[in-house]
Amino acid sequence: MPEPSEFELSGRVTIGQYLPTGSVLHRLDPRVKLCMGLLLIVGTIGTRSLLGLAILMAAVLFGLRLARVSLRFALSGLSPALPFLFLLALLQVFAIPQHVAGSAVVWRWRFLVATTGGLFAAALLVGRFCVLVLGISLLSFSTNTTELTHGVEHLLIPLQRFGLPAHEFALVVNIAIRFLPILAREAERLMKAQASRGADLGRSGGGPVTRARRLLPLMIPLFLVSLQRADGLVEAMEARCYVGGKGRTHLIQLRARPVDMATLAACLGLSLLAIGLGTLGADAWLLHRLASHT
Amino acid sequence: MNTASTPIVEVRGLWHTYLAGTPLETPSLRGVDLCALRGETVGIIGPTGSGKSTLLQHLNGLWRPQRGEVHVCGLSVNDPAIDLRVIRQQVGLVFQNPEDQLFERYAGDDVAFGPRNLKLGREEVRERVREAMEQCGLPFSFKDRLTLELSQGERRRLALAGVLAQRPQVLALDEPTAGLDPQGRLELLRILRQWGKDGDRAIILASHNMEDLAELATRVYVLVAGQVVLEGPPEQVFERTDVLVPAGLSVPPAVEVIQELRRRGFTVPHAVLTPAQAIRQIEAILHA
Amino acid sequence: MSSNTRKIVIAGVMGAISIFLGATHLGFIPWLAGAALTIMHVPVIVGAVLEGPVVGLVIGLIFGAFSLLQGAIAPTGPTDVWFTNPLVSILPRLFIGPVAWLVYSAIKRFNEATALVAAGVLGSLTNTVLVLGVLGLYRLLPWSLIATIAVTNGLPEAVVAAIVTLAVVAAWKRIESGRKGSTV
Repeated sequence: MPEPSEFELSGRVTIGQYLPTGSVLHRLDPRVKLCMGLLLIVGTIGTRSLLGLAILMAAVLFGLRLARVSLRFALSGLSPALPFLFLLALLQVFAIPQHVAGSAVVWRWRFLVATTGGLFAAALLVGRFCVLVLGISLLSFSTNTTELTHGVEHLLIPLQRFGLPAHEFALVVNIAIRFLPILAREAERLMKAQASRGADLGRSGGGPVTRARRLLPLMIPLFLVSLQRADGLVEAMEARCYVGGKGRTHLIQLRARPVDMATLAACLGLSLLAIGLGTLGADAWLLHRLASHT
Repeated sequence: MNTASTPIVEVRGLWHTYLAGTPLETPSLRGVDLCALRGETVGIIGPTGSGKSTLLQHLNGLWRPQRGEVHVCGLSVNDPAIDLRVIRQQVGLVFQNPEDQLFERYAGDDVAFGPRNLKLGREEVRERVREAMEQCGLPFSFKDRLTLELSQGERRRLALAGVLAQRPQVLALDEPTAGLDPQGRLELLRILRQWGKDGDRAIILASHNMEDLAELATRVYVLVAGQVVLEGPPEQVFERTDVLVPAGLSVPPAVEVIQELRRRGFTVPHAVLTPAQAIRQIEAILHA
Repeated sequence: MSSNTRKIVIAGVMGAISIFLGATHLGFIPWLAGAALTIMHVPVIVGAVLEGPVVGLVIGLIFGAFSLLQGAIAPTGPTDVWFTNPLVSILPRLFIGPVAWLVYSAIKRFNEATALVAAGVLGSLTNTVLVLGVLGLYRLLPWSLIATIAVTNGLPEAVVAAIVTLAVVAAWKRIESGRKGSTV
């Protein structure tokens, strides 16, 4: 039997929060921020160097400082993932064989073998995850949804040459984001109404068919109510003569300033650096230099 | 203990904070006292956001009281050992726009959902569905119709039948006539009045539509910002425009007319609430 | 014929449902060994069936992007972290809608209910096969384990998707199928 507090869904739907601190970072062009986010993702995934990851992490932490976001708060976003991360890291170290040249066995117990290669891979995994989470959080802390969709729309304009409707796509994302709180309210109302009729949505047990059937009293009305609202929205848009994105103008124009371009260039540089360090085997070189000094 | 005077619904000192403990917390009920005796129809008037829905949802155990006590049909909602399903069978809660909750393809199956969840036998379920549908003015033959092909009024009555099929002792309704055309509204009120005639039952009706309460309620609570600001028989409560109007509530048009007549010196008895009663009084004045 | 406006709105609304099911875990049915059966891909299938393959692709993109974000920001299990890679989270999901639509259109002229079931099953299997496939190519999971998961998780998930897809679309389009009356 679901406890009453389980009905409170509205508080749980937060796809990253927006913290309006009015910092320099907040005032950057959202297109630039999105590109930086992409560059960060590419850099993080593409680098094979722990040093590279460290540089990217430093950049993200610096960004958090600039955005006047409390480091403690940002890092708390990592805490739910830590236990799983630890497990995955252990898995990387022991279970998945790493054939890295020059890898030495570091520790052995019965059938568990830990090699430097394994440790390295685990460190990369954890590092990548942390940089990505903090980076995406930074993006969401410093950009509100309107700016984001505006930015996405503008970034996609060059792709219009290949047939991608930028405006329409951005509108889809906008509608989706704004529909979420409505969905939360409707779902809450429906769950309560069906529970009042004796439905037990939290129950487990039974094969896939039984379990699917148990969801229907919530799923069917949720979809139906949503489709009805969609119909209403279409009518409202068409009543206001919405005809799509061709030749559409905007009230608020986005203009990239020199500081935007400079930040973008810096980010590009860092990402390339991180990837470069990985390809050139900078870590091995660094370790070698450290070893020859001790 | 005299069971006739023990309230079938009793709420004492109920407090509720929405999303308690989060940065978004808002108080929705602040020390509410309410009771309903068997045979009564109790109305709760309040503007949107006054906490009416939250209050109703405590009555069938959807919320456990954070602070305060709620007793229904001799059971305590505060008691953690109580099986909430028993409470939800005894107190039938009808939400706003209940036709949204219909999900079964065929109408009869949706009404049967409640009784089937009570694990009743096939014959018993059939009998209850028939009884509930007929109470709601729907012929039993509708059971084989596609649910979504019924009109909005029919679907609302179908949803109501789905709740009545559980044979609750208390019926709690949240804005039951919202969105209905005048005919549909009168039909629904007729159904509720008929159901409430059984002296063992009670109805709790929450609405910002004063006219609904004027038709059915024997006693009315006015809820503003989570607190009860007025309580009493409707004719007394409707006099208090000094409290109602600032709260954003307006008196039913029939009552307004009668109040205006009184202000102009005509003698009119106080218990005039519905348009029908008002018309009779005006006719009496015109023929005097 | 469906207007462009309608396609945009349905894509947005179905995308929102997919995100909502994921964010609140209503979209997860607990199943064996901690891995859950998901219905987050059902809005993709429903959207594709109602409005076509392009809409299905867009909803799939939204689903994929959200599962990437969820893996990064609020993982609920060790496997969620893999989804931070867009080739695992986004690319496979782009195909769910188009496949569902293809299957639906092909079978619709014979029997619409069967077409819906098939769309649900094959859309779901597309998700299972492609995601597991990418995980296998990355050597994140051994192929033998992948085969097991595909059967123990993928098949029941396909059944669930079929049931929900049929129920929702049949209700919306007032399609009668199977028995012709209530069971009361």
